[in-house]
Amino acid sequence: MKSGSRLEQILESGQFAVTAELGPPQGSDRAVVDKKLGLLEGVCDAINITDNQTAIVRMSSVAASAQVCQAGQEPVMQMTCRDRNRLAIQADLFGAVALGIRNLLCLSGDHQVFGNDDAAKNVYDLDSIHLLQMVTRMRDEGQTASGTEIEGSVPLFVGAAANPFGDPFDFRPYRLGKKVAAGADFIQTQCIFDMPRFREYMKRVVDLGLHEKTHILAGVMPLRSAGAARYINKGVPGITVPKAIIKRMSGAGKGKAARLEGRTICAEMIQEIQEIEGVHGVHIMAVEWEIAVKSIVRMAGLLPRPEIAPLDLTPAPEPAN
Amino acid sequence: MIVAERKPLPEIIESIAGVKRLMVVGCNTCVAVCLAGGEREVALLSSALRIAANKDGRELEIVERCVERQCEEEYNREVAAEVADVEVVLSMACGVGVQTMAQQFPNAIVYPALNTTFMGQPDELGSWSERCLGCGNCVLAQFGGICPITRCAKNLLNGPCGGSADGRCEVDPEHLECAWQLIYDRLKAIGQLDRLMEITPAKDWSPSRHGGPRQIVREDVQA
Amino acid sequence: MQARKRVVMGCARSAGVAMQKLLTTGWSLPDDVEWVEMPCASAIDELHMVRAFESGAEYVLVLSCHQGACRSLEGDQRLANRVKAVQSLLAEIGIDPSAVAHQRMAPNMASDLRAWITSLGAPQPCLANEQDAGEA
Repeated sequence: MKSGSRLEQILESGQFAVTAELGPPQGSDRAVVDKKLGLLEGVCDAINITDNQTAIVRMSSVAASAQVCQAGQEPVMQMTCRDRNRLAIQADLFGAVALGIRNLLCLSGDHQVFGNDDAAKNVYDLDSIHLLQMVTRMRDEGQTASGTEIEGSVPLFVGAAANPFGDPFDFRPYRLGKKVAAGADFIQTQCIFDMPRFREYMKRVVDLGLHEKTHILAGVMPLRSAGAARYINKGVPGITVPKAIIKRMSGAGKGKAARLEGRTICAEMIQEIQEIEGVHGVHIMAVEWEIAVKSIVRMAGLLPRPEIAPLDLTPAPEPAN
Repeated sequence: MIVAERKPLPEIIESIAGVKRLMVVGCNTCVAVCLAGGEREVALLSSALRIAANKDGRELEIVERCVERQCEEEYNREVAAEVADVEVVLSMACGVGVQTMAQQFPNAIVYPALNTTFMGQPDELGSWSERCLGCGNCVLAQFGGICPITRCAKNLLNGPCGGSADGRCEVDPEHLECAWQLIYDRLKAIGQLDRLMEITPAKDWSPSRHGGPRQIVREDVQA
Repeated sequence: MQARKRVVMGCARSAGVAMQKLLTTGWSLPDDVEWVEMPCASAIDELHMVRAFESGAEYVLVLSCHQGACRSLEGDQRLANRVKAVQSLLAEIGIDPSAVAHQRMAPNMASDLRAWITSLGAPQPCLANEQDAGEA
């Protein structure tokens, strides 16, 4: 075991994993995190805590992830390369481990033009692949990026993101291969609406044998309305929502009925995804709609979540050098 | 070459508030080529400043000059007399030229009329794009002659990120190409796609400006 | 009080020909108008226009051939872009950008030329503006 986290144990035991997402508040209000945690209790195996997502300043993922640990649930701490250099990242990772965090998702990070303060200077000292390499070196060799010995250990289950729909399409499976070579224990994909394209992507991934070297969790996002479906189709680069889905959402009407249809479609997609070779779990991105996750997971037949022995937070033994 | 553009006129006018006699001095090298600070631009700016002064009933006399290369003291010596004879030197050179002027004539007040932006190339007449950030350790051989440090908005070395769509960069799809799509296409065309299968390690930023302001000394040409 | 100064710059191949026609009819340029003939309107630089204002002009009218008829191919379009740049510069120093204008013409448009020169800088005919219409 690399970290002994619940997520790692579930994936390593061959069970289909479920992760969800939680965006910390744009401020210091702990209660916001507590409320979302309440909605996600018992519904997923680990919860991604975003890191200044879309370059909007929020409570740091380290702090919010620590709060998740305090509440007895398991975070996947997200870390981008946009706001911190390698020194700050390593410092944050030492602190994260000390506070009980055991899962990390390595991201390059959205450029600050998407956020609410584009006057800021960005960092991008590293890219996500460098981050993967650095963390696995910290964990497996007990060394920092500059070769200094680490006091203590860094038991982190390390992941990265993948976009099966970005360009150049032909290169994407190979780029996934680079992330695996850099040490990605797990992968969470961008949200899927175009199932045939995802199937094709997974076929190439399986051909490359990558599904045996890393655990891939397919990303899904429930739609709240036909308007949301149309917006995502038009407004988010690289994501297309098939006409059939937009049609279903339009046909469902508004409000409660639309949201139910959105959750149903999501659950159906999860069931379809479970049948695809190489997919070991699902990552549900119910952005500011955490309450939807429980019913989606239930409809997809994935409740209750497996019982796993509580995480032993005593420090792992020093890695043998 | 260095590419610059003229500051907004209100900003320039404010910087010379109260000045009655100034010199506008251009440069015939990079800023002339990018049509920002050559002789013609000196004439245009001077005319505009006089119109503005006239309109507001202010007194303003302008000496118009242009030197070959404002970053070299030997060329600036040609306008030494004018520098001593005006209240302010309004330089239409790049940031280097402005600083050379200020350093060469320590009693002069030297203000910039341009915003110096980047090292780049002309795409077509009237359009210039950034190409080099001066990172101090050129890796163009690895990427088919396309610089990911400069042209990728996140300076990824193992791109593309998930925001590449139809060959455009999501940061500004209207104006920006995805550098990694360009690199991919170029390496494919020249039969070097295998370079992209290897991980490019993290960059050592110490030779770049991040390591501090830089200097190059060539003792072999010194006395 | 200073006389208003209006400057008209035109291409020899269109405005120049039309101007000759006008002059042979006995019409003469108003006293405050300066006529500048250029071999091609695309040779009219931003500097020419700005210097005209510096010399005291309040209105500048530049005239080119029609799109597609310019001897320098896209000369009329280049001129149009330069006029926009001068308008922008005027706006930056607080002068109404419509003080400089561009018209395209053919050599047989003498009467249009006369009309443009006559009306250059004259106040626009009184049209009810949106506010008035709202209150009516």
